[in-house]
Amino acid sequence: MRIAVLLSAGLHPVSGAPVLPRLEAQAIRMAAGLGQSAEIVGLHAGPDAAALAEALGQGLPRIEHIAVAAGDDPVPALAARLAAITPDLILAGRRSQGGDESGLVPYALARALAIPLVSDVVAAALDAEGALRLDQSLGRGALRRVVVRGPVIVTCHPDAPAPLAYAYGRARRGRVETLAVAPAALPVSALAVEERPYRRRPKIVKGAPAGGSAAERLKAATGEGGAASSGRLLIEPDPEDAAREILAYLRQIGVLAPPAEPKT
Amino acid sequence: MSRLRRDPRAERAAHCLAGEGPRPRYDRTRRASGSGRPRRDPRAEREAQRIGGAARLRYDLSQISRPVGEAVTAAPRAAPVAEAPKTIIVESPAFLVAVVPDAPGGRLSGHDRQVIGAARALAGREGAVAVIVEGDCEGLGAAGADRMLRLDGAEGYDPAARAARIEAVLASLGARHVLFPESLDGGDLARRVAVGLNEPLFTNAEVVAAKGLVRPAKGRRVEQSLAPPRLATVAPDAVADYAGALREARALPFEGSAPAVATSIVSATRIPADPATVPLSLAEFVVSAGNGLSDLDTFRQVVAALHATPGASRVLCDSGLMPRHTQVGASGTVLAATCYFALGISGAPQHLQGVAGCEHVVAVNTDLHAAMIERAGLAVVMDAQAVMPALLRLLAEEAAGQGKAS
Ligand SMILES: Cc1cc2nc3c(=O)[nH]c(=O)nc-3n(C[C@H](O)[C@H](O)[C@H](O)COP(=O)(O)OP(=O)(O)OC[C@H]3O[C@@H](n4cnc5c(N)ncnc54)[C@H](O)[C@@H]3O)c2cc1C
Ligand SMILES: Nc1ncnc2c1ncn2[C@@H]1O[C@H](COP(=O)(O)O)[C@@H](O)[C@H]1O
Repeated sequence: MRIAVLLSAGLHPVSGAPVLPRLEAQAIRMAAGLGQSAEIVGLHAGPDAAALAEALGQGLPRIEHIAVAAGDDPVPALAARLAAITPDLILAGRRSQGGDESGLVPYALARALAIPLVSDVVAAALDAEGALRLDQSLGRGALRRVVVRGPVIVTCHPDAPAPLAYAYGRARRGRVETLAVAPAALPVSALAVEERPYRRRPKIVKGAPAGGSAAERLKAATGEGGAASSGRLLIEPDPEDAAREILAYLRQIGVLAPPAEPKT
Repeated sequence: MSRLRRDPRAERAAHCLAGEGPRPRYDRTRRASGSGRPRRDPRAEREAQRIGGAARLRYDLSQISRPVGEAVTAAPRAAPVAEAPKTIIVESPAFLVAVVPDAPGGRLSGHDRQVIGAARALAGREGAVAVIVEGDCEGLGAAGADRMLRLDGAEGYDPAARAARIEAVLASLGARHVLFPESLDGGDLARRVAVGLNEPLFTNAEVVAAKGLVRPAKGRRVEQSLAPPRLATVAPDAVADYAGALREARALPFEGSAPAVATSIVSATRIPADPATVPLSLAEFVVSAGNGLSDLDTFRQVVAALHATPGASRVLCDSGLMPRHTQVGASGTVLAATCYFALGISGAPQHLQGVAGCEHVVAVNTDLHAAMIERAGLAVVMDAQAVMPALLRLLAEEAAGQGKAS
């Protein structure tokens, strides 16, 4: 099985120094977990390969670096290289880190290579018949188990298992090869955005009445306006009554399934 | 900034008491006009706290009194005009703003409402908001939808086919802007549609206004802005819901059919979160034990019976009675649960920090003055050891009742 892991040029969100994004390190771990026989290669398109050495230490034996001028779209070059190596599984992060963070690269590649994409995957395993069993996160620990056959692009979700530990020896043994690839001809679409320093904006206060006063917004924000203000206090009730009240409350807010209607 | 100018003569005239004797008399405490906010009257409040017995003055300070007397009764607020709920109708919109909500299970999520609110801000007075739903969906008019386009829901998980359907609808609708929620499913769909239509997508917008959209980039060190693009996704909790009057949500016809897409997905099954193994930080409902509990076996049974995730306070984790990964609080796990059920926990600040994000709290504690009781939406002051068996009994009775009936 051939696996390609897409590595972007990540920047640390605080220091701005080049780092391997955590999501992509998790993707490397996911690839490494798919068996010893898998042939794993990292793929990066960009002007330089400086930050990639870290990915070698995370468990990638080989990385292919495709030289692309700074500011150019990496998708045509990546598509051309992926079409040449035809991997069975392509792993990417759900969003890159330090750039536009739009998460569009894997989708554009899926389109260019005409292969399906499964998003936000937390675990991958090989099936007995060679199909891939992917666990997709639905939030709050719920999963969707998707079984796919054939080449597929998978994006990795932050709830996936933590990355492998960095190993110096592996980083020394690994290789980064720089290739020159003729990019595939793809239509490009870009937005002309204007940039300025980030400004934090107040979060909207949920539960505050629209057009209410500052006092009402404060109440909603501190929780006094919500459940706590209308809070019920039971002092030394009968245990049975207390239990009944608690169950009724839990059902009212919807965390406990209602007792199934007795079938008649 | 111009403030209303005071008119002392008029204020004085408003305080004048009509026809009492030869002299004009004024009641200064009466509020004739103003902001309409009730004004505190400390004297009257104090008077209301006074309790019986004329021998000595006695006050009950714990009793928070209703203010009495005419002096502090609020001038009635502009009385809520009880007019019939009016529906706003945009007959011939200048343009359309389309929204593709997630609408899990046929109901708009909070995030969906925010996206429709954002679309309303883009549409303004002339435009109309068209919501594209699959299957039935309720409450669209109240959320701010002028038009509604219903597709037949498809079974099974096939995101590529869903994206193809939405692309076909968008091609026939000719909307000026299309907004998606930046959620797991919505963000996925938006990217598929953008790549399918070969149009750029403005992702994760935190500000949506007719002037332009703004999104964070480069690890929130810069923000990028743009005049409203055709396709955009809206970040959660960034834009307020629509708060105006009901809109009509008129059904639009949809002709044309979606192309069939070959799929390589063999099967897709939903695995609900297992409360016993889900990480505490993701859990939906946490039942937590504190130092007030001595019978942890019963506690574990209660957790299992309620289908909840177990938690504990630091005291129990330190003494080894509960595993360390169940610790809730500043040095444990900060919860994002919908409901937190605390049994025998005092609610130390370090513990409450972990619960700050929980919407609902239920507390059982013997101490009326525990901080947890104050934080709780339902507080029960009694022995948790007695409540737990009662809960188990009640749940078992319900289960047995079903078993007998079916
Ligand atoms: C740096 C630091 C970090 C900390 N981080 C955390 C943290 O992350 N998480 C955390 O939990 N704590 C943390 N703590 C500890 C915290 O300050 C409290 O000591 C701890 O939360 C108290 O736990 P408790 O409420 O279970 O116990 P107690 O304070 O002993 O409270 C027990 C409660 O149970 C009630 N009770 C007794 N008998 C019964 C009964 N039969 N039925 C019902 N109720 C009964 C009592 O009225 C009392 O309110 C931290 C402390 C420090 C200094
Ligand atoms: N220049 C690149 N070279 C290789 N992979 C990339 C590149 N840019 C992005 N990717 C992959 O696409 C994912 C999403 O990136 P983005 O669309 O930029 O948010 C990243 O996590 C990477 O796995």
